[in-house]
Amino acid sequence: MADTTEQPFTVAVSDTDLELLRKKLDLVRLPDELEGAEWNYGVPLADIKRLVAYWKDSFDWRKAEAGINKLPMFTRDIEVDGHGTLNIHYVHQKSEVKNAIPLLFVHGWPGDFLEVKKVLPILTAKSDEHPSFHVVAISLPGFGFSEAPKKPGFAGRQYAEVFNKLMVALGYNEYVYQGGDWGHILGAHAVTHYGHTNIKAWHSNMPFYRAPKFFSNPLLFLGMLTIPFDTVTKTRLAHSMKWQSKGRGYFIEQATQPQTLGYSLSDSPVGLLAWIYEKLVDWSDKYPWTEDEGRLLEWISIYWFSRSGPAAAGRIYYEMTSQNQHDVLEGTKYSSVPLGASYFPGELVRLPKSWTSMLGNVKFEAEHDKGGHFAAYEQPEKLAGDLRKMFGKGGPAHGVVPGKNGYD
Amino acid sequence: MSNSTEQPFVLAVPDDDLALLRKKLDLVRFPDELDDAAWSYGVPLADMKRLVSHWVNGYDWRKSEAEINKLPMFTRDIDVHGFGTLNIHYVHQKSEVKNAIPLLFSHGWPGDFLEARKMLPLLTEKSPDHPSFHVVALSLPGFGFSEAPKKPGFAGRQYAEVFNKLMLSLGYNEYVYQGGDWGYILGLHAVTHYGHKHIKAWHTNVPSVGPPKLLSNPLVWLSSWLSSSNNSSQAKHGNARNWRTKGMGYFMEQATQPQTIGYSLTDSPVGLLAWIYEKLVTWTDGYPWTDDEVLEWISIYWFSRSCPAAAGRIYYELTGQNTHDTKAGTKWMSVPLGVSYFPGEIIPTIKAWSSMIGNIVFESEHDKGGHFAAFEQPEKLAGDLWKMYGKGGPAHGVVFGKNGYD
Repeated sequence: MADTTEQPFTVAVSDTDLELLRKKLDLVRLPDELEGAEWNYGVPLADIKRLVAYWKDSFDWRKAEAGINKLPMFTRDIEVDGHGTLNIHYVHQKSEVKNAIPLLFVHGWPGDFLEVKKVLPILTAKSDEHPSFHVVAISLPGFGFSEAPKKPGFAGRQYAEVFNKLMVALGYNEYVYQGGDWGHILGAHAVTHYGHTNIKAWHSNMPFYRAPKFFSNPLLFLGMLTIPFDTVTKTRLAHSMKWQSKGRGYFIEQATQPQTLGYSLSDSPVGLLAWIYEKLVDWSDKYPWTEDEGRLLEWISIYWFSRSGPAAAGRIYYEMTSQNQHDVLEGTKYSSVPLGASYFPGELVRLPKSWTSMLGNVKFEAEHDKGGHFAAYEQPEKLAGDLRKMFGKGGPAHGVVPGKNGYD
Repeated sequence: MSNSTEQPFVLAVPDDDLALLRKKLDLVRFPDELDDAAWSYGVPLADMKRLVSHWVNGYDWRKSEAEINKLPMFTRDIDVHGFGTLNIHYVHQKSEVKNAIPLLFSHGWPGDFLEARKMLPLLTEKSPDHPSFHVVALSLPGFGFSEAPKKPGFAGRQYAEVFNKLMLSLGYNEYVYQGGDWGYILGLHAVTHYGHKHIKAWHTNVPSVGPPKLLSNPLVWLSSWLSSSNNSSQAKHGNARNWRTKGMGYFMEQATQPQTIGYSLTDSPVGLLAWIYEKLVTWTDGYPWTDDEVLEWISIYWFSRSCPAAAGRIYYELTGQNTHDTKAGTKWMSVPLGVSYFPGEIIPTIKAWSSMIGNIVFESEHDKGGHFAAFEQPEKLAGDLWKMYGKGGPAHGVVFGKNGYD
């Protein structure tokens, strides 16, 4: 590739930044708590006290940094129509299998590129039994170590443009896509603009779509009205309602006043910790964070030390809903690009599986009995296993990328 | 009053607390901002930088404190059924008019007891032309300098109990009530439990009520259905529409996860400043905030007796963690009610529906003023209370033997 702006990337937080964090942690002022509150009012005080102490006294950022720097990371400039140039950060791990399938992995909020860490070795491993992938895991603009947009209006079309230009720049004119959370939503946008021409298939671990409307999907709509939901579906819907009634404060604030909230998240490490930790616990399927506190604080630290600061990330909610005026799938279209869907029981929105067929051309489905919203991190073998089945020999999306079927 | 636990209250923030605030402000880390964002994404960065700079270099808390201490303030223990004893802080300003009307003023969020400050001289002064009041302005439990509840479930009934026991302990067996924001909602609860017997009349500057239900209020439903679109000055102003469409994030978060946001608000003065300042600006009607006014207001939250996190719990408790309306548990009461409409009020009010709140005996509409009416337009609001309770007014003499005149 001539004239490439690709640079190898290493995370190197300055001593000054580390020192500032330490000074702030030393001055932490904690609230009181109601008796017996536990998780009923938000993150429990005992958890925060323990995590702040760990962060101050035991957590070794330099060690975490060194571990992250073992990943093959890069940055390059991507031009986005109307938004100038953004310097984008990504992991690019090639398989030794030359004809491995190029796969773009996209995180969400409060996620980051490191969610790919556990699936990376599984997806890139060579074997006769399963396909291999060349994996690109991006930091979304405004997250992790990618630059943030500077102007208003950076939404679905723009993210899709970044994805496609990045993959094409890496020599992957045709590729497949995997995502959950915003990764799922942005996948629907990416496939709308680049499906078939570039994106040959995609997979989601949060396969939600809008409820069926009478005129666009009359059969599904009627099914919704007349056929009583089975117990399993009712349980799934009840689970979704819980998020709807008790877990959406973060969404509404970030969709309407992300800058106001941003002052807290930028200035207070404990405020940032609580804001994200609540979701890491609430949205995962009983993931044992207490046994993984180093990784947990590394997760928070990615936000704290992010290139644009913690406030930038929340703007995605604002831009993708035009300040809460429409839903996040606005501007997407049904595409016949093959779609794979994996259902994890702890996922925060669990809608009837029949609705997924409105999202796309469902060719692969898998249901699991364990795992939540952060599927790649919580259940890497299950998620990678689904991708292997979907794209492997005999699988419904085998060979979608000409010349790169995953086997040599 | 024998066995009174009333103590005079003097605000005296420890030097250590001031020093901690200063240290935190010195370490402030600001976010970036999108080009030309102005107020579109939240509080503008330029406003925040200016306010923080003034907080560090110019604002004098000790001066604010000395001024606040000129108010006659007290604390006393109030026993709340099932919640033990809460030590409650209040201003108690008596009029020289012996038969002044006892009035309880209740603030809301992000308000505080000082919202009554500008009205105090107007309400307590003696005059042949208007009635006088003995004013009690409390810090709600969990706000300002009142203790916070320690257990879950402190809701409408409990706040009403605090109000009534406080007024009774001050010798006011019968009294009137004024409030906006939570002061309005809690007024509904207070009147439900203590109306007629103790609360003889009440007034609100936020007469908000939901759409009338066909079966319970058929005539009002029909008239609102038939009338042309709500052409009120509030509808034209924009504050109310903006609140519903863009300004509900704080409500949702505080109603569902107040502890989570509480960590930010307790730990970061800048975070607290932004969270509250956004409302001070977007909920008022062009009020010319000075930086000193803003910083004093935020400081009350920062130095509050509990912590800034405690205040937001009122949203959770009064909505059952977002499962029911704040008015659940209240009843329509025939206690005389006065309402004032201000164009910049954020909570939608429709005059045709106000009769569903209570027994409206007084109505007043203004062309200026917003959500913090007592603070923004003290003369207008006090003037409304004068008219409502004055000689010839619809609530004149509601409190036996205390009609506001000697």
